[in-house]
Order: sequence, then C-alpha cells, then structure tokens
Amino acid sequence: MYVFKNAWKSITRSPGRNIIIGVIVMAIAVSGSIALSIRRAASKAEQEGLEALNITAQITVDRQKMMQAAREQGGDMREALQGAQELSIEQLQTYAEAESVEDFYYSVNSSFDAGTGLSPVDTSSEEDDSSDTQPDMPGSMPPGGDMRGGMGEQGDFRVTGFSSYDDMTDFANSTAEITGGEVFDIDSADADCIVSEELAQLNGLEVGDTIELANPNASDETYTFTICGIYSYTGSDTSGQMIFSASQDPANRIYTSSAALLAVIGQSESVAQTSTDEETGLTKTTALRKSVSGTYVFADAASYETFQTQVTAMGLPDTYRVTSSDLTQYEDSLAPLKKLSMFASYFVLIVLLIGGTILVAFNIYNIRERKYEVGVLTAVGMKKRKVALQFVSEIFLVTLASIIIGTAAGAASSVPVANKLLAAQVTSAQEDTSNTGDFGGRLGMPAGDQSPPDQGGPGGFRGRVVDYVSSVNASADMVVVAELMGIGVLLTILSSLAALVFILRYEPLKILSNRT
Amino acid sequence: MSILKLENLGYSYDSGKTPVLENLNYEFENGKLYAVTGRSGAGKTTLLSLLSGLATATSGRIMYLDCDVSKIDRYRYRSRSVGVVFQNFNLLPHLNAVENVLLSMDIAGVKGGMKKAKALELLAKVDITGPLAKRRVLKLSGGEQQRVAIARALSFDPQILLADEPTGNLDLDTQDQVISIFSNLAHAENKCVIIVTHSPQVAQSADVVYQLKTIRSAGKQPAKT
Repeated sequence: MYVFKNAWKSITRSPGRNIIIGVIVMAIAVSGSIALSIRRAASKAEQEGLEALNITAQITVDRQKMMQAAREQGGDMREALQGAQELSIEQLQTYAEAESVEDFYYSVNSSFDAGTGLSPVDTSSEEDDSSDTQPDMPGSMPPGGDMRGGMGEQGDFRVTGFSSYDDMTDFANSTAEITGGEVFDIDSADADCIVSEELAQLNGLEVGDTIELANPNASDETYTFTICGIYSYTGSDTSGQMIFSASQDPANRIYTSSAALLAVIGQSESVAQTSTDEETGLTKTTALRKSVSGTYVFADAASYETFQTQVTAMGLPDTYRVTSSDLTQYEDSLAPLKKLSMFASYFVLIVLLIGGTILVAFNIYNIRERKYEVGVLTAVGMKKRKVALQFVSEIFLVTLASIIIGTAAGAASSVPVANKLLAAQVTSAQEDTSNTGDFGGRLGMPAGDQSPPDQGGPGGFRGRVVDYVSSVNASADMVVVAELMGIGVLLTILSSLAALVFILRYEPLKILSNRT
Repeated sequence: MSILKLENLGYSYDSGKTPVLENLNYEFENGKLYAVTGRSGAGKTTLLSLLSGLATATSGRIMYLDCDVSKIDRYRYRSRSVGVVFQNFNLLPHLNAVENVLLSMDIAGVKGGMKKAKALELLAKVDITGPLAKRRVLKLSGGEQQRVAIARALSFDPQILLADEPTGNLDLDTQDQVISIFSNLAHAENKCVIIVTHSPQVAQSADVVYQLKTIRSAGKQPAKT
C-alpha cells in the first residue's frame, strides 16, 4: 500500500515530468480515440448494414473466364462466347434446392415491336432504327441467349415476366407504383400486363384496353395483352444516358407474369421458322428470344457464401459464377468508409509507434534521472521489485489519467471529425466514379461485373449510382474505451519494461557512491 | 554477546587487484558506541557498506546474530535490523521530514495507526519539531537534514545504527548535539552504534575505537584502543 502512496506523492510533487508524459499519452489517446471510433463505427455500420441487407444472387455466365480460357487456348473468342448459354429456368430451379437458399424467383425478358395502333415512347437521342437491324441479330446470338450483348436490346418494347412480386424490386422499394388499375396476377398465364404512364398517355391507353405486340423477327406474328394496370416510375432520372433502342427506354417497359410471357414465347416457338446461315453454319429462328434471370434469396451473407460452395458441389460448371449485386453495391457504398477506416488503422499504428517510442525514451530518461531515488529506496531496504512497482504505478496512473482525459476529448470530437473525413472520402470516391463513368466504365454495368442489370423495374439501363455511406456515428463506445485502455496498458508495459530493466540493474551502493 | 562479528573480513576493488580491507576481526555489542577511524582511503565507508549489507565481502564474513549477512535477505536486514545514516543523508527530496521517516517505517513493515505520531516523536528527539517536520528536506539545513536522517535510521527501532561521518558537515554545536544523540542511543536505548568518522571528538566519545589502516602501510591487524 505504501508503494502506491509513495507513487502518488511522487506524481503530485514532481508535476513537470508527469505533465510531459501526460501530454504525450493524451495526444495518443485523442488521436487513438478518433481513429478507433472511426474503425469501430465502420465495422458496426458494415455489420449492421449486412444484417439488414436482403441478399440476393444470380448465376450468370462467366464471360471473362471464358474469354480468358479462349485467349489462353488460342481459340476463337466469338465462338467461345456463342457457346455460353444462360441457364434454363429448370437448371436455375435445380440450384434453388440448395439448403442455403431461402427463396427463389425468376424473371423472363423478351423484346417486341409495336403492333397495330401502338407507338413506343421515343426519348432516345438517335433515330430508332433498331427494328431495321433486328433481322440480323438472331443469327449472331445463341438461341435463347443473352439479350444484353452487342448494342443492347432490340425491338420497341421490353416485356418482363415475373414469377414473384418480390422480384419487382422497384415496386417493392416504392420507386415505382401502380397509379391506375392493379398489378397482374403473378400465377396467371393470362396475358395481362402493366404499362407506364408515358406509354399510356402517348397511346391514349386505359386500364382494360388491349395492346398488340409483334415479334421483331416476324412482324406478322402478333400477340395481344390486356392492360390491367398503369404504373409511374419515380426513380432516378435517366435522361442523358445512352439509349440505343426504344426498348431500353424505361417508359417502354411492359410487365407481366412469367407464366404469361412464357406462354407467348411458347406460342412463338411453336410457329417459328428456322434456317441455317451458310456462312456461319448457325441456326436462325424467328421465335421470340428470351432471357431468363433467376434470383436466389438468402437469409444472410454467410448463406450466400455457402451457396457458392453448394452450387459447385451440385455440378455448376466453372464457366458460370454466382454474383450478388446487392452485396457488390453494398460493398461499394462502404468503400469511402472502409478507406477511412483503413487510414484510421494506419494512423493508430503510426501514433502508437511514434508515441510509444517517445514514451519509452522519455521513461528511460526519467528513470535515469531518478536513479538516486532508486538508490536511496533500495539502500533503506526497499526491494527492487517494490521500487519497480512504485515506478510502474506512477507510469500507469499518469497514463490512465491521460488516457481518460484524452479519450473524453477524442470522444467529444470523434463524431464531427469522422464525418468530416468521411465526407471528404465520399467526395473523392464520387469524383473517381464520375471520372470513370465519363469513359463508360461504370455506366450501365460496372466494369467486370456480369450480373444482370436491375430488371425489377424501369431504369434497367441506368448507370449504377452508388449510394455511399456518408455519415457514421463514430462516438467512442465502451469497446473503444476498452481498446484505448488496452493501448494504455500496452504503453505502460512497454515503458515499464524499459524502466524495470534499469531499476533491476541499478545497485544502490554504486548509485550512492557516484553521487557522493 | 556480540550482535555483529567480523571474521577475517576482507574487501578489495577491481576484482581483487585493489585490496582495501584485510582480515578484520571485530566484534560489536549492544549498548556501546563504536567509532571506526582511519585516514582517507583506509576503507571506513567500505566497512560501513559491508556492515549495512550494501556490499558483499570478498573474503571472510560478517555474522549478524550468528547468521552470515551474505546469506540472509539483505533488503530485510537493511530495513529491519540496521539503520544507516549516510554521509550525504540520502533523503528523498520530494518528501518532507516526517514523510521520509514514515516511508522508512513503511518499508520496514512497521504496523499500527500511531506511525505518524511515532515519526514525529523521533524527529522531536533529534530536535526537528513543528513546521520543520513538515518541510521538504531540501529546504532544511545540513544539520537538520542530518538529524532527519538519524530519525529515519531509528524509525523501525533497529538494533544496530550505522553512521557515516555524521558530523562531517556540521558546526561544533550541532556536532555536540549529534554525538549526544548517538551516545544516548547506545547507552540509554541499548543499541549498537557504529560511527565511521574522522572526528577526534566523536572518537573520544566512543566506548570502542577501531582504527583502520591502509593495507599498504600497515599490513597488520588494525589496533583496538
């Protein structure tokens, strides 16, 4: 007990050296508190965001891998890609059997031309000549293949059939809403559909009216849909984005049930005419083309990770890959925060390294200055370990007090400082995205991302706008305080070790003789 | 019965190259005031260091109540059995007079709630009273510091009191006071008081004087007077 009493007296009666130690530790604590709060906030934001995230995934052809394989084998890249087929609904459903999958739904897309009495909304900056180019396209595409290749979609309208209302994400998240009539019956094969307000206004359509859509590959092949509802889209503005065909215009999106669209496509296939291209040897068909996109829903990120392993075990060829645009977008949204968190980590390390070194050096100097005291205490019978305990207690008390003050100061400033730093990171990230977008890298589809664009609602071709996490509650909580205490203990141990070595080496007789 | 006994005690510096003490065979008893005298370099302070357990003999041994000092816990020995008054006092500058005495009592493990009263009593015994007792030791005069050092050495009621030139820095009046204190401790309180000194006055007051001679000139057993 007297050791601590003596330590306290030593602190209070020699304020100079303790103030210096205190200032060093406080500087470490303030910066450490801010940096650790940022790290903690980033980690919490990531964790909480991940828990709240509705994770969905798609299985898509891994074109990059196929192209790379073709490159390595010296094969024809075009041929390799032509061999790439999207999975059929049945195949997609097979993988939905995986234990990790909570729910599964799919959507079917197809392009149509306007039939009699129907005009597409034309907001494109170019003449819509897609219909003219349409006949050349089927031969270059795999039957039933991806419609997102080349210059994009063809036809005047893009019709999407959903197997679940959950897949209609724009309606679920209120960026689109039914303004007239009602949504179609998802399980019905009746050709009911919903159209956009713009299309309805342009053509004077109302709920209950019918529209005629034509097969772009065979104009005399028409199909009639009944309008059961009209929707408006309130999502982000798509003006100024490149639109290559009328079907890419959100206003020309028509939605129906997958059963209804598959029935129409089935009819088209039953009457289709096929021919073989003499030059390429490829089979051409006049049947309506379709693309299918399956969406697997997971309870959490771990299930998604498991799914990736499970599908491989279930026989998914390595030319396909599982992607989650939710996760990708979520991770993108965290990019500035993660960057800031990384900076914070490095900052803590540097502060610890420099602060720790200064502290150790100062404590060594301090102990050497107090050599006489060590000599006297040991000469009057105080054991070296008790002398060491007294000195360590002094360092610990000063460090602890400084850390508490520093943490309080850091806690008071961590939230505004963190958000200011984060705002700078977000601005920087937005500028980067904007610059990349100017060159087309992020517009419409992120570079290297083969996942399908948002097909749940209008705006499937809009550029990916990353909603960055721009504000965090970087307040110093108990974990931060505990971490700082840990740092304090670590610094104390480090500086104490140096002090201990010196104290244990000192011999009272030598010290006192030298002084004499 | 002797409380301290030197048996062929020898000490040398520089790994035996510079002998300072050789074959000392002294005995020290309770109730007596001893003076160890000798010329500078004769090894007086070295002997005191050996007696206090701060140094270890290079030959022979020191027996404390039939225990070899080199084989016992010397921190315990210094804090419980031997009180040392250093030539330079060696007080802790950040503490006041009474705190220096109290710290020594704490180190010795003195128990009880009357410690402060006892410390003040000890200081009063050496004429450090009132505000002096609560003054930082650096603000005390040399004589006052010396007396605080004596009070500290007595704080845990040791059987042996060692003092290195306790009057070296003092004026004549203070010297008399200090000698009187030591004499009283030996004769009234039955302590073994060993004083290393140059002072003939101190030597005259001692019951026994051991005179150390430098090894080179003497080469023989120091005389007992």
